[in-house]
Amino acid sequence: MLEIKNLHASVDGKEILKGINLTINAGEVHAIMGPNGAGKSTLSNVLAGRDGYEITQGEVLYKNEDLLALAAEERAQRGVFLAFQYPVEIPGVSNIYLLKAALNAVRKYQGLDDLDAIDFLTLVRSKLELVKMDEQFLHRGVNEGFSGGEKKRNEILQMALLEPSLAILDETDSGLDIDALRTVSDGVNALRSADRSIVMITHYQRLLDYIVPDFVHVLSNGQIVKSGDKELAKELEKTGYSWVNEEA
Amino acid sequence: MKQLTELATPFASVDTTLGNDVQWLKAQRLKALAVFNKQGLPSKKEEDWKYTSLWELSQQEFTHQASESTITAEQVEQAALLGDSYRLVIADGIFSAELSNLTNLPEGLFICPLSSEQGLAKAQPHLGQQVELAKAGFNALNMLLMNDGYMIAVKAEAQIDKPIEVLVINSGATQHLATHLRNVVVMEENCKATLIEHYVGLSDAVSLTNVITEVVLSSDAELNHYKLQQESPNAFHIATLSANQGRGSQWNTSSIALGAKLARTDVQSKLVGQESHTTMDGLYIVTGEQHVDHHTRIDHTVPNTTSEELYKGVLDEQSHAVFNGKVIVHKDAQKTDANQQNHNLLLSRGCEIDTKPEMEIYADDVKSAHGSTVGQINEDNLFFLRARGLDEVTARSLLTYAFAVDVLERISSATIREALSAQVEKHLPKGGKVL
Repeated sequence: MLEIKNLHASVDGKEILKGINLTINAGEVHAIMGPNGAGKSTLSNVLAGRDGYEITQGEVLYKNEDLLALAAEERAQRGVFLAFQYPVEIPGVSNIYLLKAALNAVRKYQGLDDLDAIDFLTLVRSKLELVKMDEQFLHRGVNEGFSGGEKKRNEILQMALLEPSLAILDETDSGLDIDALRTVSDGVNALRSADRSIVMITHYQRLLDYIVPDFVHVLSNGQIVKSGDKELAKELEKTGYSWVNEEA
Repeated sequence: MKQLTELATPFASVDTTLGNDVQWLKAQRLKALAVFNKQGLPSKKEEDWKYTSLWELSQQEFTHQASESTITAEQVEQAALLGDSYRLVIADGIFSAELSNLTNLPEGLFICPLSSEQGLAKAQPHLGQQVELAKAGFNALNMLLMNDGYMIAVKAEAQIDKPIEVLVINSGATQHLATHLRNVVVMEENCKATLIEHYVGLSDAVSLTNVITEVVLSSDAELNHYKLQQESPNAFHIATLSANQGRGSQWNTSSIALGAKLARTDVQSKLVGQESHTTMDGLYIVTGEQHVDHHTRIDHTVPNTTSEELYKGVLDEQSHAVFNGKVIVHKDAQKTDANQQNHNLLLSRGCEIDTKPEMEIYADDVKSAHGSTVGQINEDNLFFLRARGLDEVTARSLLTYAFAVDVLERISSATIREALSAQVEKHLPKGGKVL
């Protein structure tokens, strides 16, 4: 699904990613953990195609295609989904309009016609249930006045509707209380499937109690310094990240 | 063909000018002539015209004499904003009965062109009451050269069921046509109506529209009064909307400026009755080398009046916009509640906005707020939409629409709101179909 080979990336001439290597197969769930400043957000932004990052070395293949050569929207249309750490508020664009536009952009790439209004609404309603959101959220501005938890649920709603092949969840647990964390995790777990890969980027082990990963990687100073299974995350929880910096 | 200054002197020789045989109008025009001869066109030295140059306009030659208008009923249908309305059409400067739809007017509604004897007679007591001849601008010129317009009167207690669309349509068949219009609306006690003034150019001809609308609102009357300006890309458009508001009355306006090369609109309301309210909104979307200028003024003259003002602007390429909003709370106008906002979105480096919100408060128990902002498309929002699969042009159009939409949302009539939204969409970056 995704192959990251010796990826180096800089911001304003400062190197943040210093040679990332990572292979993610279809159906796998990977967690990337690391201390602040390790390069976690840079990695998710580079994968999603945000401007402002210079790739100095390496490559990323997504379904055997050069991912870095594609614009952000082309990546999204091909099934790459980034759940944002800080979802933006866009008053004036209704949630339902965003969902429809996003879904139709993906369908257009797939050579499908737009869904008609009734089929679309039926589909959206079924996804709303998954993240326990009320239908009234559809008619509000995108994330306008939403609580932290509602914003994150809204991200998962978008993911559920778009059914991506590769979902990158950037600090999806941040700012969530325990109930919201459970709802969001249930939503993500329901979306686990053999043809979908998930990358969770997180500072804390807590999320991994709810969404159990197949693999855990530790990112530090722009490199993956250690990989293992879910036990690695528990170890980190106990010992913190200080040893990582020493080893690196 | 003559320049404006030559056209004005002597006005009597301009035979298309209406009411040449009407004594009171003749007297008014003599005064206007004296004023115009003294003042001429306003220059950038005048505070109110500091950011808007009329040099190019002053160099143009205009004619008043439209050759017979060739505008067809089909063109009118296409240009009209509303399908189901009472419609008065001014085609190439002159009222057209054939193109208008003024049959079956409901009880209590009077509409007729100013060029009719009845129209002029009904307008007389109100015409010129709100706009000073001596004010630098086009007031004197309009008085001198007015050749048509409309007179609308709504009887007490009447609730007009359908909106009224005044469609001022210019085919461009006559090059350099100048249209000077004068409109009067009289709303009697506790009546309600919705009116849209719609200015459309069908070609890219040079033209001038110079229009003044004076509105009188009696107690508890409500007029929803919109203006949509879609003139030709080479047109000059100069307009004043003015209202005088009695007790408990409401005047809800929105000035949507999308077309013309140079457009200047003055909107002013005087709240003279307690509990009266003005909503004074506007939206301008300009690109290329378009220049759009709004000057607004709200006078709170008595206690317990309210005003809400929201102007938004979207500027692209080398365009230039001006917003100057004045709210004046007079000495006795205690418990005034006034809010004025102007927000601008710049889509390119080459555009320029001059925004100047002003409040003058002479009463001491007043609630008021005002502000203005100038910003750009938020890059985080843009990335978010692209990360959801929307291409960049669509995403920019959507964010631009989202910026502008609250002006549209404040329009109470759903029919008019949707019709105006559709026109606004056409002016989003690259004309992207958004909704």
